[in-house]
Amino acid sequence: MDEKFDCIIVGAGIAGLAAAMTLARNNMKFLLIEKGEFAGSKNVSGGVLWGSDLAKLVPEYWKEEDGGWERFINHRRLTFMDDQSTFSIDFKSSHFNETPYSGVVVLRSKFDRWLAGKVQDAIDESDYAMESFIATNIKVDEILMEDDKAVGIRTGEEEFHADSVIISEGVNNLLTRQVGLQDDYVPADHMLTGIKEVIRYDQKVLEDRFQLNGLSGMSNEFVGFATDGVEGGGFLYTNRDTISLGLVAGIKDMREKEKSPHDLLNTFKAHPVIQDTIQGGEVVEYSAHVVSSGDKRAMPKEVYKDGVLLCGESANLLMNAGKAIQGMDYAMRSGILGAETIIKAKERDDFTSNTLSEYKQALEDSYVMKDINSFQDAVHMLHNPTMYQDVPNLICDFGRKFFTIDSKPTKKSREMMKESIKEHSSYWDLMKIGFKGAKSL
Amino acid sequence: MIKAFTKMKSLDLTERLGLVSYRNQAKSDIKPHIEVDTDICNSTCPHKCTTYVCPANCYTMDEDGQVHFQVEDCIECGTCMYACDQGAVDWNYPDPEIGRGVTWNFG
Repeated sequence: MDEKFDCIIVGAGIAGLAAAMTLARNNMKFLLIEKGEFAGSKNVSGGVLWGSDLAKLVPEYWKEEDGGWERFINHRRLTFMDDQSTFSIDFKSSHFNETPYSGVVVLRSKFDRWLAGKVQDAIDESDYAMESFIATNIKVDEILMEDDKAVGIRTGEEEFHADSVIISEGVNNLLTRQVGLQDDYVPADHMLTGIKEVIRYDQKVLEDRFQLNGLSGMSNEFVGFATDGVEGGGFLYTNRDTISLGLVAGIKDMREKEKSPHDLLNTFKAHPVIQDTIQGGEVVEYSAHVVSSGDKRAMPKEVYKDGVLLCGESANLLMNAGKAIQGMDYAMRSGILGAETIIKAKERDDFTSNTLSEYKQALEDSYVMKDINSFQDAVHMLHNPTMYQDVPNLICDFGRKFFTIDSKPTKKSREMMKESIKEHSSYWDLMKIGFKGAKSL
Repeated sequence: MIKAFTKMKSLDLTERLGLVSYRNQAKSDIKPHIEVDTDICNSTCPHKCTTYVCPANCYTMDEDGQVHFQVEDCIECGTCMYACDQGAVDWNYPDPEIGRGVTWNFG
């Protein structure tokens, strides 16, 4: 194919699909390349797609009988764990039943494929219905560079040319490294392994157990014993007739503490409270994928250079600041912003950094970088052992004391709290964390 | 008699990987997409961490403490690329046509 595209997008995950949708709607000629058999076939997430951007890409997606998403979240739970107990903050509200939903649970193999279908519809309606493509089963080996400007891609012996390239290849960002935006070796310090099982139930059983109504769903995050002393946490999300149960665990910490992710997952599943929660299900898939922590120190040096933009997790746009694990929504927004920048570049016929740097500015002005910037302290705090070990232990210890009624004189709660703190941490450590916490949240 | 719920059985890794769909599963002559210089693992590496951090157990240690790599069960997660700080892992994605790679049913 000799013809030049306005843009080649590498990777049909959420960032790439959001970019493609935006380009198609603006009558741009593009090629979206995916290495898997179909969009989503190689993608794994926890996962909840937070925020409301999906409604921008697929208006009134909730009206579709069998859309690509699983359930909308109206029930949130944050659980602290020790080896015996769980102590949860639980919030459920009909407020979250309103559309557009503020979070939907997804399974990527289904969701991305569905979204790719919507992108194809948008291509079909665009001026380039016959000249823009979603191409699967193609692995991009190299971004072609001329005078340090991206001019296309190479796959095997074949080359495709374009005025611009959007790299949305995900966290294992080999092409980002090839164009020099990220070091060749990225250390394990701010990287985690996500590991998960999809567990199936009779749909009625699932709905009864988790008090689901129609397509409502629950998200539950866990800190403490869930990761058995390794930095990270656990999650449980309800799908249509399955749950996604898993962990994220720091790679450097596993290396140093000699822990295996699959053993950690078994330990988590064997916790008495988790056992009661998941019993009776059948595991239908086991999966794993690296995920970044949201620590800015792990991010690429820059998100653009001449002819290239980085979108989604290839730019490590992800964050867990304690409230939710956000990544797919950042991918979606960055894909949209990236494509909008490419559209401007086409109008000006300038695909150099002069125009493409506006993507960085748009990202900085959006909630994505605003949140990543303002919650860095929270990210650091969550990766502090006091936070993922001592605090859950002392909260559960306090819970056990507080809820124990054993026909003996009862101590005041303040006394109980004092004892729990003494046993599991120190006032000094808590003060440090409390001070940081007050500042960071 | 009141009967407690039966506990859900934990799966071992072989059972877990048995649930994964791979491409070119029937092909015997697949080209490994990850190249591991096990000479580094077996000479200077102080931790041999890939033998326990890999979620698919592609890195194994034999009785003599030697590290071996088999690509067949790889689920392309990327963990080893970050975990190995010794420069032994040359990580890539499988070729869609001739490599073995994962196709998730749920993801």
